[in-house]
Amino acid sequence: MIASLVAGRTRGGLRRATPLANLLLLLALLAAVLASPGIFVKLGALLLVLGLAALSGGAPRTVLRRGRFVLGFSLFLLLIQVLSVREGGVLFSIGVPVTDRGLLAGAEMALRFLVIVLSSLLFITVTDPDRLARAILALGIPYRYGFTFVLALRFVPFFREEYRTVREAQRVRGVDRPIRSLKSLRRSIRYTVLPVLVAGLARVDTVAVSMKGRGFDLHAKRTITRRERWHPIDLAVVGLSLLLVAVTVLARERGWQ
Amino acid sequence: MPCASSGEISVQSLTVRYPDRERPALDSVSERIRPGETVVVTGASGSGKTTLFRVLGGFVPSMIRAKVEGEVLIDGISILTKDSPRPAAGVGLVQQDPDAQICTLSVWEEVAFGPENLCLPPEEVTARVAESLASLGIAHLAGRETTRLSGGEKQRVAIASILALRPRVILLDEPTANLDPGGAKQVFDLLRSLGERDGRTLVLAEHRLAPLLPLHPRLLLLEEGKVLLRRPSVAYSDLDSLGLRARWEIPRPVVVRSGPPALVLEGVSFAYGEAPLLDRLTLRLWPGEVLGVIGPNGSGKTTLLRLAAGLERPQAGRVLRPKSPVLGFVFQHPHQQIFERTVRREFSVEDEIAGARLADLLRRARLDGLEEAPPLSLSLGEQRRLTVATALSRGPNLLLLDEPFIGQDRENVVWILSQILAARERGAVTLLVSHDIPLVASLCDRLLYLGEEAVEGETAEVFDHLESTRREAFTPGYWEGGLR
Repeated sequence: MIASLVAGRTRGGLRRATPLANLLLLLALLAAVLASPGIFVKLGALLLVLGLAALSGGAPRTVLRRGRFVLGFSLFLLLIQVLSVREGGVLFSIGVPVTDRGLLAGAEMALRFLVIVLSSLLFITVTDPDRLARAILALGIPYRYGFTFVLALRFVPFFREEYRTVREAQRVRGVDRPIRSLKSLRRSIRYTVLPVLVAGLARVDTVAVSMKGRGFDLHAKRTITRRERWHPIDLAVVGLSLLLVAVTVLARERGWQ
Repeated sequence: MPCASSGEISVQSLTVRYPDRERPALDSVSERIRPGETVVVTGASGSGKTTLFRVLGGFVPSMIRAKVEGEVLIDGISILTKDSPRPAAGVGLVQQDPDAQICTLSVWEEVAFGPENLCLPPEEVTARVAESLASLGIAHLAGRETTRLSGGEKQRVAIASILALRPRVILLDEPTANLDPGGAKQVFDLLRSLGERDGRTLVLAEHRLAPLLPLHPRLLLLEEGKVLLRRPSVAYSDLDSLGLRARWEIPRPVVVRSGPPALVLEGVSFAYGEAPLLDRLTLRLWPGEVLGVIGPNGSGKTTLLRLAAGLERPQAGRVLRPKSPVLGFVFQHPHQQIFERTVRREFSVEDEIAGARLADLLRRARLDGLEEAPPLSLSLGEQRRLTVATALSRGPNLLLLDEPFIGQDRENVVWILSQILAARERGAVTLLVSHDIPLVASLCDRLLYLGEEAVEGETAEVFDHLESTRREAFTPGYWEGGLR
């Protein structure tokens, strides 16, 4: 689901922006839904995410179809709040009274969840990890730490594949039985963690030799040949992020619900 | 591509001992390699090849702890002293696993990684990347993500990333071991052009010598850490006497294809995402039959085994297994199917095996005396024998083997073959996925090639077809030295 929130491989919208500008926008969206009161700003943030997804190659229908689990879970959150909050004026009853405060609290929680998940998915989908890594390294973070991020990205698919193979080996040998006790849980963890860990350590060994062999850590600094250049779209994304933060601050001060 | 001149290696009485190992990994090795020479180092697994390469590359003992005696000089400068020049200064090492040694996300960044670490000016980095990629004929890969490359492409990128450092000596530790035959041929062709063109010193560890003979290499044969044999040159006719020929002579009994088949795949289609991997594949295998499955990486060979094992369901068609299937599945890497803390307990993962039966299984797998040893502390060869022995311990009638020969020396290969032959005699159907074409050619009754097309038939017929369609890397002739 993560990789396919936005269909196609178009180069439009946020895909053209530098990863740092996109990261700033993501942080602004998260701040907006976490710090703003009521649903006004949160609803605006959701519409903004859907609009940006559309601009970046994902028609709202596609986003909604591919993000249906997220939608389903946010509706569940709404329902839980509606059924559990008793304060406020009663609007109607469905066996239990539904209050205006319950509806508002549910909508707030559902919108917050939707924006956090969809904006994160959008960021991951439109951001080229290679460009993001380069941008992080260019920020001035010591490159030894910056490369940890790059290596983590290199290791994710490896661990995913290794985990799948180990689980299949367990199925073949009939040791993927359901977990019914603490002992069987411990055994299942040991049977899975040990082989994956061994593979991971061997890989770390190889990659360390490969990196050291090419002069990694030889000097305190290294050359950065390809730098991310800023374009008008990046300024537009930064401007949008600042606007979002300003609206959030205003909403807090004026108590917009 | 220019490189600094020279590239002389002098190894004097080199002995390397790893902590907690009784036998030294290298024992009093002395050797002089002249600038511009091509040397092939061969020998069984555990003979000391990788240790020799890691010492020459400057990783032992500076990164990998070991007690080292003797002296190693590169162009007259010791690489064993504390203030020795770093590995990047004059020696480049290409390792076995093409995927594991890549540390960035794009081809351009990967090749630029070394020059950027050396703090070269950006223009110089750009020039070196372009030069390295062009010299290997892979300039078109510059913008590609490293995760989307084939094995052969990854290994060529790894070599390009070393060339960008302009080393005087290039060490290649079994660079084709993890590649499909097509990828291996790409690397061999590349090595030929490197050796012929620019006078760099090349030191290679390799088991398959025939494709390297046009490089006119000098040969070093290691055994248990010692140099057993030196040959100033090797000819194709020498390979037999040196026991290095890729050809195998394996008895192949006639399979009676009457009665109901033991394994049927009928019009099986399978795809990950939208790209079809297997398209309406039909196969019928009778008891005692061994089917070799060959083809490029990513062509669906392992998926076929997973479908036969019932780990995947076909999206179209059906798979009919033996009536009471007893499955033996050997995965590509032994550690993926080793779960227990001791060798003895590993035999009791599925059914309790103990007493005389366990002793017999251990003896046959040549693991007796190792009952209480942690399996992951065993050598790669011992781990492989353990996984084959546990897979066969239940007497499977469907045996699935995914690259069981990778990283195995001849002695272990012979042992694994003996187990396959024993299973065949008992009437098991065997599906063997392997990149070892000469071995597949000798062992298998029938062959399935998966690639641009699926070709299935008698072994000789399929090889004839592959040769006539210019896929010679997948034919035994290329590996046995018949094609030049």
